[in-house]
Amino acid sequence: MNLTFYNDEATWLHRLDPRTKIGGVLLIFAICLCFNHPLFIALILTGVLAIFTTAKSMKVLWKLRFLLVLLFVFSVVLWPFFIKGKTVLFQWHGLEVSSESLLYGFAMGLRLMTFVRAGLLLLATTKNEEIANGLIRLGIPYPVAFALATAIRLAPTFADAGATIVQAQVSRGLDLDSKNIFIRFKRFTPLSIPIFISAMRYTNFLAMALESKGFRPDTPRTSYYEARITGRDWLAMGVLTLTFAACLYLRLSLHWGIIIPGRL
Amino acid sequence: MTSSIVFDHLSFSYQNTSIPALQDISGEMSRGSFTMVMGHSGAGKSTLCCAINGLVPRFLRGDYAGGVIVEGMEAGKNIVPEMAQVVGIVLQDFEAQLFSTNVELEMAFGLENKCLPRTAMEERIDTYMRVVGLEELRKRDTATLSGGQKQRLAIGSVLAMETPVLVMDEPTTDIDPEGRRHILSLIRTLRVGERTLVVTDLDAEAAVQADQVWLLKDGQLAAQGTPVEILTDSSLIESCGVRPLATVALFQAMNWPGQPLTVEAAVAEIESRRLICPRRPECRAISTLTNGKVILEARNLSYRYPSGDINALNDIALTINEGDFVAMLGQNGSGKTTLAKHFNGLLKPTVGDMLIRGRPVNDYRRHKLAREVGYVFQNPDHQIFASTVREEVAFGPRILGMDRKTLERNIAESLDATGLSGFEDKNPFLLNRGERQRVAVASILAVKPAVIILDEPTTGLDYVHQRDTMEMLKRLNQLGHTIIIITHAMWIAEAYARRSILMKEGRILLDGSTPTVFSDENMLAASSLAPSDLIRLRNRLGLAAMTLTDMVKELKSEAVPPGSF
Repeated sequence: MNLTFYNDEATWLHRLDPRTKIGGVLLIFAICLCFNHPLFIALILTGVLAIFTTAKSMKVLWKLRFLLVLLFVFSVVLWPFFIKGKTVLFQWHGLEVSSESLLYGFAMGLRLMTFVRAGLLLLATTKNEEIANGLIRLGIPYPVAFALATAIRLAPTFADAGATIVQAQVSRGLDLDSKNIFIRFKRFTPLSIPIFISAMRYTNFLAMALESKGFRPDTPRTSYYEARITGRDWLAMGVLTLTFAACLYLRLSLHWGIIIPGRL
Repeated sequence: MTSSIVFDHLSFSYQNTSIPALQDISGEMSRGSFTMVMGHSGAGKSTLCCAINGLVPRFLRGDYAGGVIVEGMEAGKNIVPEMAQVVGIVLQDFEAQLFSTNVELEMAFGLENKCLPRTAMEERIDTYMRVVGLEELRKRDTATLSGGQKQRLAIGSVLAMETPVLVMDEPTTDIDPEGRRHILSLIRTLRVGERTLVVTDLDAEAAVQADQVWLLKDGQLAAQGTPVEILTDSSLIESCGVRPLATVALFQAMNWPGQPLTVEAAVAEIESRRLICPRRPECRAISTLTNGKVILEARNLSYRYPSGDINALNDIALTINEGDFVAMLGQNGSGKTTLAKHFNGLLKPTVGDMLIRGRPVNDYRRHKLAREVGYVFQNPDHQIFASTVREEVAFGPRILGMDRKTLERNIAESLDATGLSGFEDKNPFLLNRGERQRVAVASILAVKPAVIILDEPTTGLDYVHQRDTMEMLKRLNQLGHTIIIITHAMWIAEAYARRSILMKEGRILLDGSTPTVFSDENMLAASSLAPSDLIRLRNRLGLAAMTLTDMVKELKSEAVPPGSF
């Protein structure tokens, strides 16, 4: 599976300052937390999807379709058992499911999907280097910002190595479809050790290459893509902040968008 | 001439090892010169490179004695990022060096570290992108580049830092022949100028253009001199694990005067001295194709990767007979590996069928398939996991449920066949690359598959290990295993394969006996390949033999009329 999410286009979202985008994603998270009614969260999700479309990055979501569906299904199935609501639908040995808890589970599924998608929106429209640069400009210490950007960068590399290793061991007769739990456990070592070792080799080598090009994590460096805050950034931040304020007002003063009171 | 790099009795051994990696190296490389460092694997070439910019001993630690002074800076005394002001280094694994989202950012990385302002960066990036010929690919994702392009980017990004010294550790390893040609011509371009070049390579053909050649052997400087001095001494370079130049070797074997370093020089020499008269190759029936039963068959096979826009394989029709020795050739991305992965069912055809012994691959259970077709991946480290060689080799047979007795016998036989007897209790992770490669082969062999596929079995190995590996495969072939190799090393295909399959853009361009395929230089050129110097010489002279020994025999029997063959 290809885990590179960056989608090289030149839309308005790609041109925003990385700081704006990082801040924007955090604001979308906050907006999501304002409501726990599925309809309201569905509305927010639609908004995020609309931004995806204008950023021409819907195909990035397609890559993660299985994960997204899985997250949603798990949430919808599990949440109802842990929440109590007024309209009980059925009871069984102390477990009860109500229509409110069902709706709440639905809302949480949608919320999780919105979180993941908002994060993907950042990754799909922002280069690693820009994310690192944005974090540094936001005051995050250089080594931390660089480590984070590196982690994002290396995920696809290790996934590729992992895929090759799986193929190599399957060629030797490793049965990945076995239903036997013991065989399943045994197959873990032949996969994990080569993955671990190749990851170690790779990172060690990378560190050598970076130092050889004069890189030091603790000293300032210039940046080829100089991010600049423009009117567009102010507009984007303004719109999101206003939306957040409006949502807070709706929830706190008008008590809209609540299925289970007293919960996020 | 002023000296740029001075080695002063440099010795180094890595932590926790007893054998020194470098021993008492002394020598000078003058400013603006081009030095080629050659030697067997483990001779200390990479260690020498890393000592120039201080990675040895600042990053790779161990016992360090003596020193290296580069442009007035002492390598061991300065930290690596400091040394980066005077030394640029392109490390061996070019894949791992590329780190940025796109090509221009990769070029910018070193410049950002130097704190250059944006306008200056842009100028340098423009200049050096043109030097390495990547100007069209500025915004491309580095992961989508071909091997040769990646290597050129790695070189370009170091060049852009404009250091007075440039070190490249095996820049042409693991690259297809066309990529290799690009890199070698790039090195020629870089020669002109003030820059001091240090390049390591396993191939003598690359050293011809250097100012001086250093030969390393077991960590010691075995010889140094001009290319003519060093490369004409076939026995010396062979003792250092480097394949001798075909032209020199042939002239020596024939006792001809002259020591030409290139095919063109050799042909000129032969013509001017009238050593032999070039002639047309006689049509001799060469019985090279086996007539065993068909074991693998692809029928109108096409394949498209799930994420791909175009077919990786197009309408492949191919049969491979039992007992054959096949080489699959072609550039990176020509579809060799994709096709080979169909042979053992790792990939399923999008259209068409893949048959093993007449039955579709899908009909086989996984463990049954592993007994029919074994697949040795390019990088042995992608499969080695056990703590002893015996355990590693036993993994396959054990998972297929072989009984104890057969298991023991198979392990012993496969270790014997790969020359690893006595290695049973060694830790595979501590073996060298050539030995790890053999462990990988042994672990496939232990299952006794009828067909063994090897993806680039000789990459990263020196001449001696390459020859050992190939001789081992030859023995396995004689024992009845069908061998299929995917390779970029032309001389390997020429000397060992009975049949060669040439691929380009997902199609089979040419398929036939190896001597026939390698006689067709136009077709090879069409898929961006070229025969080795030996075979180019053979084709110019109109000979039929494919190895040096056979060529000498053929030439010496000149007087004998063709009919007697």
